[in-house]
Amino acid sequence: MSTFILPVGPQHPALKEPTSFRFMVDGETVVDADLRLGYNHRGIEKGCEERTYIQDLYLLERVCGICSNVHMTVFAQGVEKLMGIEPPKRGLFIRCLMGELERVHSHLLWLGVAGHEVGFDTFFMYTWRDREIVEDILEMISGNRVNYGMQTFGGVRRDLDEMQIKKALDGIAALKARTPYYLNIGASEPTLVARIAGVGVLPKAKALELNAAGPTTRASGVDFDVRKDDPYAGFGEHIPFNIVTDEGGDVLARVVVRAKELMESYNICEYILKNLPAGDIRVKAPRKVPEGEVVSRAEAQRGECIHYIRSNGTDKPDRVKVRAPTLANWPATLYMLRGGYVADIPIVMAAIDPCLSCTDRMAIITDPKGNEKVWNWETLRQYGIDFYRKRGIKL
Amino acid sequence: MSLRLGAMLPEVLKHLFKKPATVQYPFEKIGVPKGFRGRPVMDPNLCIGCQMCVKDCPSEALEIHKESEATDEAGKVSKKFSMTFYLDRCSHCAQCAEICPKKAIHMNSEFEDAAFDRGALKIVYK
Amino acid sequence: MDILKIFLYLLVYPGLLFLFVYSTFVEWIDRKLYAKFQNRMGPMYTGSHGILQPIADFVKLMAKEDIVPDKADKKLFNAVPILALTSVLTAGLLLPVWHFSDAFQSATSFQGDLIVIAYLLALPSFAYFLAGWASASMYSAIGGVRVLTLLFAYEVPMFLAILSPAVMAGSWRMAEIAAYYQANPWYLLINVFAFAVAVVALQAKLERVPFDIPHAETEVVGGAFTEYSGRKLAMFRLLADIQMVVGAGMIAALFLGGFPGGLIPGFIWFVVKTLIVVFILAAMRSVTARLRIDQMVSFSWKWLAPLALLQLVIVIFLKGYLQ
Ligand code: SF4
Ligand code: SF4
Repeated sequence: MSTFILPVGPQHPALKEPTSFRFMVDGETVVDADLRLGYNHRGIEKGCEERTYIQDLYLLERVCGICSNVHMTVFAQGVEKLMGIEPPKRGLFIRCLMGELERVHSHLLWLGVAGHEVGFDTFFMYTWRDREIVEDILEMISGNRVNYGMQTFGGVRRDLDEMQIKKALDGIAALKARTPYYLNIGASEPTLVARIAGVGVLPKAKALELNAAGPTTRASGVDFDVRKDDPYAGFGEHIPFNIVTDEGGDVLARVVVRAKELMESYNICEYILKNLPAGDIRVKAPRKVPEGEVVSRAEAQRGECIHYIRSNGTDKPDRVKVRAPTLANWPATLYMLRGGYVADIPIVMAAIDPCLSCTDRMAIITDPKGNEKVWNWETLRQYGIDFYRKRGIKL
Repeated sequence: MSLRLGAMLPEVLKHLFKKPATVQYPFEKIGVPKGFRGRPVMDPNLCIGCQMCVKDCPSEALEIHKESEATDEAGKVSKKFSMTFYLDRCSHCAQCAEICPKKAIHMNSEFEDAAFDRGALKIVYK
Repeated sequence: MDILKIFLYLLVYPGLLFLFVYSTFVEWIDRKLYAKFQNRMGPMYTGSHGILQPIADFVKLMAKEDIVPDKADKKLFNAVPILALTSVLTAGLLLPVWHFSDAFQSATSFQGDLIVIAYLLALPSFAYFLAGWASASMYSAIGGVRVLTLLFAYEVPMFLAILSPAVMAGSWRMAEIAAYYQANPWYLLINVFAFAVAVVALQAKLERVPFDIPHAETEVVGGAFTEYSGRKLAMFRLLADIQMVVGAGMIAALFLGGFPGGLIPGFIWFVVKTLIVVFILAAMRSVTARLRIDQMVSFSWKWLAPLALLQLVIVIFLKGYLQ
């Protein structure tokens, strides 16, 4: 068979989110890979400029369903810096706790998805069953299972009582007993290992060159973690933990890194729950934010998440820019896919734990005369509506 | 770690005799925890019409309307307010409940809010 | 009388009606076991514990819109499901379920029926390839090519494996092979390797995890079936179920001593023994991940084929020794 183009996406069973890959395929081998983003642009950044900071908090939480808490945290942190307020220690600890619980649920989810991508559905069912434990903890603490809405300017919105701490500790103990089993299976089931070992290799030098983020880069031996390198909230001197790295650089290494990070996260959660400082959880925050700009970042489960916020002294931000970790990982993913098998496309792609709704942006190309156009929220919205109408979609 | 053929087999066979982890949802329900953020419920008797909830709601799901105004003998004006709440827009963030100075709004533990008709999702508290 | 018997064969047992009902039952058992292994419930609503779910699925698919792609080779596209279904149904007729004694012989049992059944069971794979080819879709084409590659991997071990009990019994007729082992039950143990190879090859033939490479949904969507919908897809799905029953029946006849004892006990033996095979198949798909096509081919030629050959050598030597 000569080379032909295999389209994957924007709708494809391997990708639950819309993005489009074009693979040059020779028989079962991928010769080249190309990526087109932009199918899921929702105008969130623009939307932020038209809403107050408080409203933006909840809007940005919905950038992503899996790392909702991270986006909230990063935004809250940045705005706090602009406001010049510092949350109390208990609030910061709970902020970290939410982040770690979210990492636990996300990594368990990812383990299952990785199993599913290679047809190992039993693995998927077991990890997702156990993920229910941490989902229940999150629901108990925050009152919701997906968008926890815990972070706010000046601290967190809900406190933990003794009962909740006890229940959370029980749940984490159960997960802690269970997780080594998955690590064990991931490294010893022959069919699974055959599919993930030596697949999608990203050497350390390439990981650095292509700016990979999160577990993807840590599985290539780069020990970068915002929690250590630029500590925020309670990290740094307060909460002890280790960075997990692996030298493998393949999908197996990413499984191992995530499984071990789970263990680290359990330890962090236990430490926080047992050493929760007394006191308030939040300080009062002003409604207007002084003029200024700030870059805020945190370690999301998928890698470094960055927000840039510029304020103009009103109660609405002038500009918000989100850099979600998936965007950083695309160049590395294309590198990993080249030269692999068609059958390995889903698992290699899944191995970076992609989130496309976080990543999609819209680009407006101005005409050659340079007549730049400034779009406001209304034009953008109308543009979206017209776009779909033109394609016969009733709104 | 060495490879073992059928590494998961013992675990899988054990599950033959275990209770399933799932429940038959619409017939069997597991409750929600205390503090669940369900649907906001407003008590018109407490509301002072400050509009804070309307201002802060990220989804523009709330409207506050003045219902009546009465002046008693002592010359004190008492106003009554109603809230129109659009459940189809609400994102259940509980910001309205948090900001309300009179604690007139609380979140209930209702989670089966879907409906076929948008009209059914417009709720008026008065 | 003979006409009646033939109708009974064709339509009732082990013909159309039985194969349909029993294959849906087996699908239900398979799904239930798979769910149980995964700590789930599986189908629950249609019938008691969802026993009618496969039938409901079948009816639902039959009622759905049947789309033929514009660019497809329409005649081939339409003919392929019927062709494939017919071949497995015919294969079902050859199962030695009516053969109780030499006096009361099944009309469809003859010298060499083992070869015919193996051949008929291989036909659907070619049909899948043709289906993929006729669909004129990228995913279907890849799926079709994978079907053939897979066929070359498992078919030889499969034939070698079924050769062993036949050589041991000195017959090419399933009923006689079964009768031979009924007379000497201990000899069944000789064929364990061949049994293992045959079960694994059957799993590959049925394209189930870890060998569901041709229609791996996360890679090639539905493989050769991507463009199929409605009635034709229902036929393909039914055919896969029937193929499982017939394949399990064949393995039970060859390696588990057949179905002795007349109508009722024979029927019970049939159910019990096919379910044993189905249990193994369900467990196998629960504990493995999907292999890649190159891994599958090398696994077949490195392990399955040599193991089957080894078994054959053992059988030939034993046979000489016993005589
Ligand atoms: S819960 Fe949130 S979205 Fe819903 S009405 Fe209250 S503030 Fe608005
Ligand atoms: S914030 Fe409370 S008191 Fe103010 S208008 Fe809303 S419901 Fe009424």
